[in-house]
Amino acid sequence: MALKNLRGRVAFIFEDDDFDVDQIVGVKNIKIQDLDELAGLAMTTYDPEFGSKVQPGDLIVGGHNFGFGHPHYPPMKALRHLGITGVVAESFSPGYWRGEISMGFPQISCPGIRAFVDRWDEIEVDWEAGIVRNISRGTDIAFEPLALADRAMLEAGGLLEYLKANTEENTQ
Amino acid sequence: MGYTITEKILARAAGQESVRAGDEIMAKPDFVLAYDFPGYTDVYFKQMKEEFGIEKVAEPERFGIFIDHMVPVASPKEEELHKGTRAWCAENDVPLYERKGIGHQVAAEVGYATPGAFVVHFDGHISQLGTFGTLAIGLRRNVLEAFVREKVSIKVPETVRVNLHGNLKPGVMARDVFHHIVRVLGPSSCRFQVLEIGGDGLEDLSIEGIQSITCLAMFTGALTAIVNPANERLEYARSRARKELEPVSSDPDATYSAVHDIALDDLEPLVVIPPTPANSRNLSEYVGLDVHSGYLGSCASGRLEDIEVAARILEGRQVKSGFMLHVIPTSHEIMAEAGRRGYLSTLAEAGAYLSTSSCDFCYGRIATMTEGQRAVSTGTLNVKGRMGSPDSEIYLCNAATVAASAIEGCIADPRAYL
Repeated sequence: MALKNLRGRVAFIFEDDDFDVDQIVGVKNIKIQDLDELAGLAMTTYDPEFGSKVQPGDLIVGGHNFGFGHPHYPPMKALRHLGITGVVAESFSPGYWRGEISMGFPQISCPGIRAFVDRWDEIEVDWEAGIVRNISRGTDIAFEPLALADRAMLEAGGLLEYLKANTEENTQ
Repeated sequence: MGYTITEKILARAAGQESVRAGDEIMAKPDFVLAYDFPGYTDVYFKQMKEEFGIEKVAEPERFGIFIDHMVPVASPKEEELHKGTRAWCAENDVPLYERKGIGHQVAAEVGYATPGAFVVHFDGHISQLGTFGTLAIGLRRNVLEAFVREKVSIKVPETVRVNLHGNLKPGVMARDVFHHIVRVLGPSSCRFQVLEIGGDGLEDLSIEGIQSITCLAMFTGALTAIVNPANERLEYARSRARKELEPVSSDPDATYSAVHDIALDDLEPLVVIPPTPANSRNLSEYVGLDVHSGYLGSCASGRLEDIEVAARILEGRQVKSGFMLHVIPTSHEIMAEAGRRGYLSTLAEAGAYLSTSSCDFCYGRIATMTEGQRAVSTGTLNVKGRMGSPDSEIYLCNAATVAASAIEGCIADPRAYL
């Protein structure tokens, strides 16, 4: 199974390094389970109109060590609910990375991405070519290849599907 | 070219002659550990049966489960979780450690810190087993792989080596060494790599101090931390080890992605200001800042040397009126010894609130702070809302600083008391 290329606009750029993703919904909301409620709160401190501007297929761009701290799952659940299809960052914090890949949520480690895009540029993540294309500017930039297991997990749609798809290896 | 201890451990776990950093392998964990927590273990246990048809694990001795969060419980729902955990462990003949202390510490006490072993958990603070030459990695949700398969997929990590030299001055503790490492190397310096600690300065630190450092490795971006097993660390671990394994160490000509040297003599007490573990500062810059509570405990600190220094500082003195000092030994074994040595009575007489071991103080489940409150803490983390209201603040520091601050009701320099 091949990964489908991601294409959409840059819905937001987190310029800060070591970004704590819990800030996306706010720590006081981190235990909310309802996706509509979470999505309604997401990004409001960064852009009060985010929810009405974002379109299905859009992506998020981040800085170095994106996801540092003690990341919880609700912020990215909220962003996916709003239609965000992936995060492209300069680099990622391992705990965050592993958690989101296990959710089947594409994360693309792409040094140089912050300078490569402006907010609302149209971009495409081309998995086979290993590049992010800036359609708006007509440029492209290489991203770091995924580990095989990470790629397989994204292809399967997440951890559970990945493990179930390889049942012959389940030896317990 | 030689191998790192990490490459050697993973080669054996993968059943290969050798592996190198960057190789993508399937490796069999010697031990699979977890504490029960809603959304984690209860989900794994259910998925194992319903999604994978696993009624019973094949090698129960490879598994270890801890009940250390929500201890004691405060609701029937929490007790239901623990009940389910006890039942699963009984059905599967899996060892369960309940009310013995914080699992990451208990894991070392009961021998999962076998030198040379490969251990997985969902929680990254299990990295502290690295103190004993054990490669212990927190996989988050992916630890499910280890519950339903014999092997887990892993990319052999590169290693950053940090050599410690010299001796710490009084009032400076292992916590400060770690927070100094974050300050000089940076919070992303070891991303996806192993933080290997060595150097002559290692022998100036106690086993407990090294556990403090390795526990917090994730805040450098590291997957885990590790130390070559030797001396008292090897003796401690070998006498308790659950498995016969040949301890391994990094070769002198092993390949490191970076090597750093840190002079312990130059360090002073640090404080990590909110809202991120990346914010290491000199304690002296924050002396005098009002604080309302102090937490001495957690899987990072709360061991005998932490309790001893607090008792020494508080002996014959009193916690300031209105200040809430919580002292929670990391495990029952530690608590019992602290009692035998008289530390606990000294702390009780000084006005500290003492509790039996539990994880619950560290994440605000109990002793919860409200808006505008501020704590000094030896806990693991200082992000917003970690110990209660998102509008409360946590200043991470060493145990001596917590004790000195409890006397003054504001951030205080412990060196004046030592």
